[in-house]
Amino acid sequence: MRTAAVPAQSEASDAELLRAIGEGSEPAFVELRHRYRRAVERACRSIVGGELEDCAQEVFVRIWRKASLYDGGRGSAPAWLLTVARRTALNFRQRREVRLRDELVEEMTVVEAPDVDRFWVEAALERLPERERQVIELAYFHDLSQSAIAAELRVPLGSVKSWTRRGLHHLATLLGEETS
Amino acid sequence: MTHERAWTRLPDLLVDRDEPDLLAHVAACHDCQRQLFLLGRVDRALRGAADGRSNARRRLRKLRWLRLPSGLAAAAVAAAVVLTLLTSHHDGLRQLTLRTASGQAIGRAVLDRSDAENTSLTLVARGLPAHGGGSYVLWAGGSRGRPTSVGRFMVDRSGACRARFNHPGGHSWARFWVTPSGQPNAVVATT
Repeated sequence: MRTAAVPAQSEASDAELLRAIGEGSEPAFVELRHRYRRAVERACRSIVGGELEDCAQEVFVRIWRKASLYDGGRGSAPAWLLTVARRTALNFRQRREVRLRDELVEEMTVVEAPDVDRFWVEAALERLPERERQVIELAYFHDLSQSAIAAELRVPLGSVKSWTRRGLHHLATLLGEETS
Repeated sequence: MTHERAWTRLPDLLVDRDEPDLLAHVAACHDCQRQLFLLGRVDRALRGAADGRSNARRRLRKLRWLRLPSGLAAAAVAAAVVLTLLTSHHDGLRQLTLRTASGQAIGRAVLDRSDAENTSLTLVARGLPAHGGGSYVLWAGGSRGRPTSVGRFMVDRSGACRARFNHPGGHSWARFWVTPSGQPNAVVATT
């Protein structure tokens, strides 16, 4: 097992992590798994329903084995990861149920840009400072207004506005790096 | 408006376009235009993720309560609890403790009959070293024959895992052990 050279793990882009994993870097794998655990679990849940821990486990085993096959020239890292997650989840489901129709398998393994962005953003949230991630999740996933978030967190409204702006900028910058 | 101030306030345009000064700056600033484009993608991705979450919550609620009247639902919960208690004590259940060479208990393997023809094996462990990408193999052995690889699993940063494997019944496995992937002789823990 080698430890490939990679920028400070938390700073590295997803593509850099995948390349490092392909060269056998454990720290890169740990970081990628930390970022994408929730996103992969959601992808698994949408296909297999229950048993998502087992399915997610299988996805990461496959990522570890196949990372060297990732080619940045053929697509973004999140798109590759989402494809691996969906294919693994479909195999997982097929083993437990009757065979799925071929056209259904094809439809479910085609990844569209909005799907990739949604998959990516779940992972990117893990890279934000705690406060920034918290206010964004409360705003988008719990549909709270900024005033309600301030009341919930017992902080000034100005702080919520500031963390939200910073968090969104942070995500936009990460997205720019990932797609450049 | 300065570029720095406009840049800071760009996310405000996602919810309110009535900012003439800010819009005038963006119209003339390539960097701000690109960042606003990326912010828009982030905003759509977050909204999409939020929809996905609420759909999943709705599906879960629907499955959970599938049009059951509240009394019947409560009865179903009670029945499920009783069933869980009963199944965890039926004859087919076997629980084995996994220990390291020093004798420290680090987890357990629970064998259960998942249906008429299959056996499920649930492995719960903690404190396994997270080396090798945290990838391990669970092996099983009986009184006769060669060891069998039950399946691969991965541990999280703290070395914990919970994995389930389904296998055809009929095996008489007497013990289980864990090795790192690719090192079948390096036993980390055994029952």
